Amino acid sequence: MSNMLLEAKELHTYYGASHILHGIDFNIREGEGIALMGRNGMGKSTLIKSMLGIVRPKHGRVLVRGDDYTRSRTYQTAQQGIAYVPEGRGIFKSLSVRENLLMSARAGIDGRREWTFDRVMDTFPRLGERINNGGWQLSGGEQQMLTIGRALMTNPDLLILDEATEGLAPLIAMEIWRIVKEIRKTGIATVIVDKNHGAVTSICDRAMILVKGQVVFAGTSDEIRAQPELIQKHLGV
Amino acid sequence: MTIQSLDIIHDEHRALAAMLSGLRAIATNIEAGRLKPDFDLLASMVEYIDKVPEKVHHPKEDQYLFAKLRLRSADALPVIERLEAEHRQGEARINALRAALASYRQQGEAGFADFHEAVKTYVEQEWKHMNAEERELFPLAKASLTAEDWAEIDAAFLANDNPWQGAAGEYEALFSRIVNLAPAPVGLGG
Repeated sequence: MSNMLLEAKELHTYYGASHILHGIDFNIREGEGIALMGRNGMGKSTLIKSMLGIVRPKHGRVLVRGDDYTRSRTYQTAQQGIAYVPEGRGIFKSLSVRENLLMSARAGIDGRREWTFDRVMDTFPRLGERINNGGWQLSGGEQQMLTIGRALMTNPDLLILDEATEGLAPLIAMEIWRIVKEIRKTGIATVIVDKNHGAVTSICDRAMILVKGQVVFAGTSDEIRAQPELIQKHLGV
Repeated sequence: MTIQSLDIIHDEHRALAAMLSGLRAIATNIEAGRLKPDFDLLASMVEYIDKVPEKVHHPKEDQYLFAKLRLRSADALPVIERLEAEHRQGEARINALRAALASYRQQGEAGFADFHEAVKTYVEQEWKHMNAEERELFPLAKASLTAEDWAEIDAAFLANDNPWQGAAGEYEALFSRIVNLAPAPVGLGG
């Protein structure tokens, strides 16, 4: 399909002798939102890292816009309009908020610059109040907003959020989900890795659940929301 | 079958739960001496709980979901009546919370214990209420209401122009303001 952004075909990934991903298929098209869910250690982040070249899959293929990126370096995949908000945030703590944002500013792959510094400020007014603060001075919620803002400055076609609200208080988490929902409306495709099935399925069109490195559910968000027993079985605590 | 009205209620419960959790955490931190009271913030949180769940969320449940289920399931009647009674008590409960806050503001530290107690009571009641809806009423509704019933309820919920955000986004703006005012780690404030 011409509007396919990112695909994984039969991915097998290992950490040493541990077989983590067992032949996973994944795909996301332009403008889609996919909730990638599962308990801790089920392979969600490994799937993302395998598709981005951060971890090398042993078997299988990764396609970006139909081209083979299985053996590409991470920056080459990112240059195809894919922005990654990693678990743990990864801001540059010695740089100011402004510097963190400006250092990642670039046009999208078709040359558009819809996400300017000012637009990111409008989306995250809180960052405007902290603009000259160092990254190390930010709270966890502010750091998360900065990481998402920094990703948007690359004018991506696909935004991947890995555990964006992990460790954040419920009020902040709700605010981040509200903002992500607004970002989704702009047409950016989004993969959201999270355990909060209620929040992510209300934002995304499709959902996927991983258990021990295998897909146990792939369907629409409406389908998964209509199956609370499945949610309880695979995501319940 | 997807039931959009229940999805909307779940979403609204999540927002309310986040606000209640934030209010309780702030009160606990004040008690522990880690925070000084910010009365404007506390008043904004109480205002949110009053305006959104009490004045928007509960009436919608009463008017559409409970009313239809009342016609369809005799088994659901005791649960509906209990939940409707709790909705009717909602105004008195939020007034008690508001009065405890006003008293705390006026008396200073001497009024904290009563305010903290009022917060704990309100939060506990709301948790029980939301749990009862999700664990008792929703299963009964799913078992009793027909596809046509749900279509009607869903249409009513969806036609409500997203009242949770407010006609002009004012409730959403209030929520964001609270997140920005609330001190870390509860919110983003410093």
